Amino acid sequence: MVVDDHPMWRDAVERDLQAAGLEVVGVAANGQEALARFPAARPNVVVLDLQIPAPNGVEVTAEIVRQDPSVRVLILSASGEQSDVLDAVKAGATGYLVKSASREELLTAVRRVSQGDTVFTPGLAGLVLGEYRRLSDGPEKTDDGTPQLTERETEVLKMVAKGMSYKQIAERLVLSHRTVQNHVQNTLRKLQLHNRVQLTRYAIEQGLDADDD
Amino acid sequence: MSDTNYSAPAAIAVEDRLYRALAVLRVVVTVNAVGLNIFRRDNFDHPNWAVVVIGCMLAWTAFAIWAYAERSRRVLALLVADLALAATALLLTPLVKGEGFNATIPGYWVMVVVLAWALHWRWVGGLIASTVITVSDVSIRSDFSQTNYGNLFLLMIGGPIVGYMTQQVQRMAVERDRAERAAAAADERARLARVVHDGVLQVLALVQRRGAEIGGETAELGRLAGEQEVALRTLIRRHDAGLRELPEAVTLDLAEQLDLLEGHRPPHVNVATPGTSVVVPAHVGTELLAVARACLDNVARHVGEDASAWVLLEDLGDTVVVTVRDDGPGIPSGRLEQAARDGRLGVAESIQGRMRDLGGTADLSTGSFGTEWELTVPR
Repeated sequence: MVVDDHPMWRDAVERDLQAAGLEVVGVAANGQEALARFPAARPNVVVLDLQIPAPNGVEVTAEIVRQDPSVRVLILSASGEQSDVLDAVKAGATGYLVKSASREELLTAVRRVSQGDTVFTPGLAGLVLGEYRRLSDGPEKTDDGTPQLTERETEVLKMVAKGMSYKQIAERLVLSHRTVQNHVQNTLRKLQLHNRVQLTRYAIEQGLDADDD
Repeated sequence: MSDTNYSAPAAIAVEDRLYRALAVLRVVVTVNAVGLNIFRRDNFDHPNWAVVVIGCMLAWTAFAIWAYAERSRRVLALLVADLALAATALLLTPLVKGEGFNATIPGYWVMVVVLAWALHWRWVGGLIASTVITVSDVSIRSDFSQTNYGNLFLLMIGGPIVGYMTQQVQRMAVERDRAERAAAAADERARLARVVHDGVLQVLALVQRRGAEIGGETAELGRLAGEQEVALRTLIRRHDAGLRELPEAVTLDLAEQLDLLEGHRPPHVNVATPGTSVVVPAHVGTELLAVARACLDNVARHVGEDASAWVLLEDLGDTVVVTVRDDGPGIPSGRLEQAARDGRLGVAESIQGRMRDLGGTADLSTGSFGTEWELTVPR
């Protein structure tokens, strides 16, 4: 499923995906359309632009991941609004690509994301590293719920941020390719989990769970 | 200060609020005046006339509270009548109380008219009204005590001061109103610009992508579009950073400055930052950037114009780390040492020297993954 408010982009991405033998089960031009068509289309992968008419890409990501935790969201963003990208990743997106990426990069990213892999750009790795540092420097430092990276994970993430491929990282650290992948995935998973816990805690504090009784 | 428009809605709102406060003060000083006159009722030569004068004061007070409440009723006639009445009440004192009185009939009641004039005509109004009251008071006294002098002195300086302060508050209110309007307009413009920019970025990225696929001259077109895309994106990011807060000139945001290197070529540079400002002293930031640039130039020279390089900025709290990596074949071991032994101060030496001057370090690692400079400076 392709969500982009720009018709030329939507068509281009759709065409590329179809030409590569992937099935596009739906397209949407804004957040509302995306949420309306998502349940019927049941896509494996959603290629999502962040800057779409409301609800925005971050909200759409959170909602569709809530409806179907097995769906994979690949963010395809033009302006690279850094905080938005981070929010989308925390909301459950597992891949991020800038629009200037080539067709091959896009196809590879879609395939990898659909296999449950995470697609990191060096830029995203830098953001995630920064987010973990902010969390550990934050006022909730003593809070045992604050996610932290292991030394190995930090090392791997830093290498991703320095533009190294998983293969290069595996060689340099003498690890298997799969292990590197797992480390990278863990960094996102912890962040997403933390985000969900925070949201739930917020909901309870605000009494939003009160309609259960 | 003369360009302040005192009939602007914001200025009138200030005046309205101040007159509401004055209405409260009017009641307080009137109660005080009536109370004191009852307490000293034995001092009157003509008690009946005293009742008439105080009755007039009461009636006028009620009328004035109503009249001053509305901007359209605050006309010259009202303020002149207010002042004339207060002066008359003073001037009648020797006739009603007899010569050699101590306190005037209105007493402190006269202060409200001075404040009313100060609110309406600012310091000039305050000065005129306090002068009229002072002259009236002095003219009826046979002997002038230190206390009288003190009261009149306070009145003379109080009127203009309150007037001046009113003027300042009104001026600030008008300015704030103007600034709020400007901010709202700027927000709206920024919102529109964001929409337009996003559209432009999308198209540029599309041209770049399709151009590369079609090849030939179109590929060149695509490359140009790609460069413009990066330029615009950087501009927007810098603008957003500027809107947040302008850091002092003695500091520098490394994240923002390094972002400017993105898309820089040769070599093709990729920048990763923590996504927030990383502020360092300006001289440290400038030198660190220069060193990073030197590393990149080195990549272009030794690995090639088409090489890719990655810059990673990390804020570790007590230190800031900038890493520059390329995907070249690495530096053969012993080559740097050989250069040093030959007495050639290579780039490596210069980079390390510059980092030492900043109190930091420059660590070089090289291998199949390329060459990596890790530049660390303490905060």
